[in-house]
Amino acid sequence: MANPDIDDLIARIRNQDDTVNAPAWQSAETCGAPAVRPLTDLLSDPDVETARRAKRALYRIVRHAGRPGSEGEAKAVEDALVASLKSKESYVRRELIWMLSELATSSAVAPLAALLFDVQVREDARCALTRIPGDNAIKALRAALENTPADFRPALAESLRQRGEKVRGYPSRKLVPNAQTTVTPLLPREN
Amino acid sequence: MIKQINKISRRRFLKAAGLAAGGLHFSLAPSGVLGAPGRVGASNRLVIAHIGVGGMGMTHLANMIRFQKEDKVRVAAVCDVDDNRLEAAVENSGPNVMPYRDYRYILERKDIDAVVIATPDHWHAVQTVHSCQTGKHVYVEKPASVTVREGQAMVAAARENKVAVQVGAQARTAKGAWHTCRAIRNGIVGKVKRVSCWHYANPLDSKPVPDSPPPEGLDWDLWLGPLPWRPYNIRYQPAHFRWLLESGGGQIRDRGAHQFSTILWCMNADHQTSFSVEAKGRPPARGLWDCPVDMEVVYQFKNPDWTLEWGQPGNKVGQTEFGNVFWGDNGHLVLEWEGGYRPANPEAVNFKLPLGGEEVYRTDEYEDFNMNHKADWFKSIREGHLRPAVDIEIGHRTASLCNLGNLAYILGRKLVWDGEKQEVVGDSQANRLLSKPQRYPYVL
Repeated sequence: MANPDIDDLIARIRNQDDTVNAPAWQSAETCGAPAVRPLTDLLSDPDVETARRAKRALYRIVRHAGRPGSEGEAKAVEDALVASLKSKESYVRRELIWMLSELATSSAVAPLAALLFDVQVREDARCALTRIPGDNAIKALRAALENTPADFRPALAESLRQRGEKVRGYPSRKLVPNAQTTVTPLLPREN
Repeated sequence: MIKQINKISRRRFLKAAGLAAGGLHFSLAPSGVLGAPGRVGASNRLVIAHIGVGGMGMTHLANMIRFQKEDKVRVAAVCDVDDNRLEAAVENSGPNVMPYRDYRYILERKDIDAVVIATPDHWHAVQTVHSCQTGKHVYVEKPASVTVREGQAMVAAARENKVAVQVGAQARTAKGAWHTCRAIRNGIVGKVKRVSCWHYANPLDSKPVPDSPPPEGLDWDLWLGPLPWRPYNIRYQPAHFRWLLESGGGQIRDRGAHQFSTILWCMNADHQTSFSVEAKGRPPARGLWDCPVDMEVVYQFKNPDWTLEWGQPGNKVGQTEFGNVFWGDNGHLVLEWEGGYRPANPEAVNFKLPLGGEEVYRTDEYEDFNMNHKADWFKSIREGHLRPAVDIEIGHRTASLCNLGNLAYILGRKLVWDGEKQEVVGDSQANRLLSKPQRYPYVL
């Protein structure tokens, strides 16, 4: 169903004149869940600045909806973000995952956990699940530890440990160096 | 240009000759029997490594080379994710200094006692915590952290591993701030109820550029480290990270970290960890950088009651680009910059301590406050108390002011901060944003 307010918001964000588009995205927070899908569509706009404005508008919506006492609004925004997670663009999926990390509840855990098998954004999904409170996120991380490719499992183990879980095996690689430089030391001076 | 070509040619030559670092190891004498209480080597010379040798990192390296000439330290290693910077650091530090791209090679070296960290802000906490965990003393650039939870982890790591962590808000060992501190604490303007800061605006990325391949010599993945992966853009690096909220946090987290540190010192308010904060700002209309161009942040402290105001541009009272004003019952006192690179106001310099007045501690081994701040760090290690002038606890509390100011701005609402519990009162989303999950394996 057409929503003239949202249509107007999108049109103004598309406008190339900063005096038109800036006030639009900078006041997008009150547009709420109905604006999420059209703004998500703009994330893959070929014009980088239009996509950037859409991203910033979405973040304003997420952060406004997450204010104390607005749980219903937050849930509506969460559901709208989850519905857009199937975007073909990995860049879009990544952005939505991080937005969800800021306000999602247990109900977003399953769709985020599915992305732990998506090589392009699995690390972002792991980060989001590390951040989302509740047992469901922990269960999803633990389940993935059994099923995801071996090279990803140390990262999942790290998440579980950060959530206070005991994990057998998968020693942390955080202190293991691996990047070599081509720069060499100066040789000692001859006397 | 000729110098640059020579540098690349030399690196290519050595690489071709199979001498690149990682394949070549110096036989370094260990630092000796570690002595109590600060675990300084038997020679009493700390063995130092530098992690991050761009901009401020080169100032630290120059300081340390001076200390080396005075036989107080030995510089053993330099590290940077950009080979061009690393090469310049090697040239400046002389022979027998080992270059590394990955700081974790430094942490593996048992002969290194201490590290100086001057990387982009999003790396500070991870590198500090890892350094503490491997027993190294740390000097880390301000701001200490980019999130509150990072700062807490840094404090915990320093205490658990019994090392000294000095944060590079060096005004607390500078003359200008010291004169102002003792004057304010001893009532030069009476009781201070308000402190206001002024500062010029954050820059605008008015001509955005598209993403591109990273420049030769830069390890982009390692530069990003804990941050979510994204393609390289010249508006991130070199040096532009400051204008991104997730990394540099804008001037409130750069200069603010200096100014707030000095102000808390002058107000004797390091213990006043609870406050409310409100922020508003003007977001940039376009470009990659997302820090607000202008910004006003107001912090309210209780018991004693006073207000701290961050303003871009704010109410400029002094003559220079930034500074702050202490507004008291009996007048006001201006401090230009944060009392580091500028002297104190003459009224503060000439202030006579009243009978029974409070004297304020100051390390004064060097006229140069950058040297002085490091000398204070060495002293805390040598004497074994491990609490330098800007101990990590102070650095963390100062960074929390900056980080919560930015958080109030991005959330667009007032936050009430419980400093004892280190959480926002009644705001679950704000509390969730006190940490940011980090990309594996670059984790705390």
